[in-house]
Amino acid sequence: MSRASMLAARLLLLALALGLWEALPRLGWVDDEILPPFSAVFVTALQLLQRPAIHGDLVTTGLQLGAALIISVPTGVLLGILLAENKRLAQVCEPLLYFLFSVPKSIFLPLFILTLGISFWQKVAFGCFSTILIVLMSATAAVRSVREEHVLTARSYGATRAQITRHVYLPSMLPVLLEALRLAVIFSTTAVVLAEMYASRSGIGQQIASWGESFMMRQLFAGVLIVSVTAIVINEFIRWIENRCSHWRS
Amino acid sequence: MSPSAIRWLIGGILLVLWEVLPRAGLVPQLFLPALSQTIAVAIADWRIFAEALAVTLSEAAVALVFACGGGILAGALLGSVARLRGLLLPVVSSLYAVPLVVLYPVFTAWFGIGAQSKIAFASLYGFFPTLLGTAAGIQTIDAQLLVTARSMGATLSQRLRHVVLPAAIPTVIASLRLGGALVIVGVVVSEMLTSSAGIGYLITSYRTVLDSPRVYVGILLVLLLGVLLDLGMRLLEHAATRHRPSAVPRRAAPAI
Amino acid sequence: MKQALSERAVTERPMIEVIGLGHTYESRGVASRALEDIALTVQAGRFTVIVGPSGCGKSSLLMMMAGLRRQTEGTILVDGRPMLDPDPDRVGVVFQDANLFPWLSAIDNVAFPLMLRGLGRSERLDRASAMLELVGLGHAGARYPSELSGGMKQRVSIARGLVQDPPVLLMDEPFAALDEQTRMTMGEELLRIWSQTSKTVVFVTHSLSEAVYLADEVLVMSAHPGRIIDRIEVELPRPRTYEMMATATFGQLRDRIWRQIRSPQPGNPA
Repeated sequence: MSRASMLAARLLLLALALGLWEALPRLGWVDDEILPPFSAVFVTALQLLQRPAIHGDLVTTGLQLGAALIISVPTGVLLGILLAENKRLAQVCEPLLYFLFSVPKSIFLPLFILTLGISFWQKVAFGCFSTILIVLMSATAAVRSVREEHVLTARSYGATRAQITRHVYLPSMLPVLLEALRLAVIFSTTAVVLAEMYASRSGIGQQIASWGESFMMRQLFAGVLIVSVTAIVINEFIRWIENRCSHWRS
Repeated sequence: MSPSAIRWLIGGILLVLWEVLPRAGLVPQLFLPALSQTIAVAIADWRIFAEALAVTLSEAAVALVFACGGGILAGALLGSVARLRGLLLPVVSSLYAVPLVVLYPVFTAWFGIGAQSKIAFASLYGFFPTLLGTAAGIQTIDAQLLVTARSMGATLSQRLRHVVLPAAIPTVIASLRLGGALVIVGVVVSEMLTSSAGIGYLITSYRTVLDSPRVYVGILLVLLLGVLLDLGMRLLEHAATRHRPSAVPRRAAPAI
Repeated sequence: MKQALSERAVTERPMIEVIGLGHTYESRGVASRALEDIALTVQAGRFTVIVGPSGCGKSSLLMMMAGLRRQTEGTILVDGRPMLDPDPDRVGVVFQDANLFPWLSAIDNVAFPLMLRGLGRSERLDRASAMLELVGLGHAGARYPSELSGGMKQRVSIARGLVQDPPVLLMDEPFAALDEQTRMTMGEELLRIWSQTSKTVVFVTHSLSEAVYLADEVLVMSAHPGRIIDRIEVELPRPRTYEMMATATFGQLRDRIWRQIRSPQPGNPA
């Protein structure tokens, strides 16, 4: 199958899924109080997006997410490079990090509330906590993905340290780092939304939780739709950059 | 000093600090109750915690069946049919970006605040990573081995039984390991959000009354559960992949 | 040694007959002639080497002989019967990679074809260990593939190809992945095994020296279209030795093959 027909097939699949979502309640097979039809949810979503209160929620969530990423990604990358460059440190820390990496982060959420209260920075902190390890470990992997032969070749042609960094390290590491960024966005989105749903005064996660508690199904589904579409769009955008930067990879 | 000795030392120092810092008043007891106090609470309330843990475990077990059953089947299908994989794998990995936790309110609205919602959410939570892991693992089965078996006159069923099945075992175990970890997190998270039983529920209700020691006990128990499960699965994995240097590629568990 | 050759000639009997074999495959709408007008006969007990540039269809030809790839034009007879499906009773196959099952020990790998046939465990293991003995790995039966070197793996693979005692052994660049030294040893070993078992061997390679060193007869193939452009009888005495590689005859034979491959002249004496 060609790429175009593959894409067409996927769009068809999406249309089928949305069609089914529309048809089930419309045909009365499912109570539309349980599953409102897609068109109704879509209209609700558009209406919600015009409400200032929802703007406020989205901005809050976005700010928390942005702050978490701005703090955790550079910190994680720096620590990761440090770890990759320092053999002794890596020997000691890596098993610990692997362990921490496999530990579920969400169960620590209550501790963030006990220490920081229910606040903006509590969510940012929890987002960082959930994200930093994946960034750190990806950065370590990125450094290690630089092939010794390439560095050696560059050095044999008299490349300076700066040139090696610019022309060997950066292009080798960039795809891995972008992948890390993509995962970081996924992880911190989940973390921030969960923190909002768990205990918060604002944010889109908090809204979704409260719509759920009051059985406002249209708004609930509209909220889920907004969050999902946004997450997918951001993810695909980073992936697009990733592909552009790593066209030379197989 | 060897790296592992240093690690033990770090662990030991952390435990000592956990005891000393709160006792000395350097860290508020609300933030960090002393280790001894936490353990004392765990022993005193063991029955309450054990009952909650039993609820969580039983729900996780059911969810594991759904998540891994579905994930392994769908993953095997996607892994072995190239055309299907080309069509759906990008879709699945796009969906992976969605923070699934937003769906939990939908489940509680549909199924009420009880075991059903938690099982539904945890199953979904474990499904996609299990699917992706299995699909990747099935693809690593060496096509040459199948040709070799064919050259010996192996029938289709013999090829499935003697080549595909043994080659897929490490993948299946790895998927169970990943799925098991995720399903436990899924149940605990849903219990923390909205529920009336289980260890996650316990953690949240102690948190709302600021009973730090009991919050810590709950969290430690979940961690312990995860570690034990992982250890068990790892032993199984080790036994099954003893002679295979390049078994299943390890996938990073999205432990959120 | 001349004596041995003529003795073999007395008992001549065609083991493999390829008649008018052709194959066209299509890729992106462009038809490409992978095999054209292949005709050859391999006498029982002979060691035939097919050599040619990559893409000349030599592996395709071998896979068709093994019944692993469908024949579209022409016929392949092995032991007088068409070869339409894999038949381990007539043909054993050794691939470029040893393709051992990583979850089975060496001896279980060798016994695998017998297991497929439903033989009892003790008989399986008896025959498999005899085969391992033949390839010089009698001591390594309990080891797993990950614990074997490249050469040892390929020996196990040969033992597996021989375990059902088929009259024909087809080998698809079996030593290509090995280092030069191992490759030499394996060549020697293979000739020893061949002389002990009197199998008919068809061996595909792209190494000219390997071809001359091993073969009774070398078939030279060209690419696009894949056809046989030369047949060379190697009349070096057996057992072959490493020293023969330095002789003038050896050099001339290798030179003749190289000229054919470099500038194929269709219609050359075949």
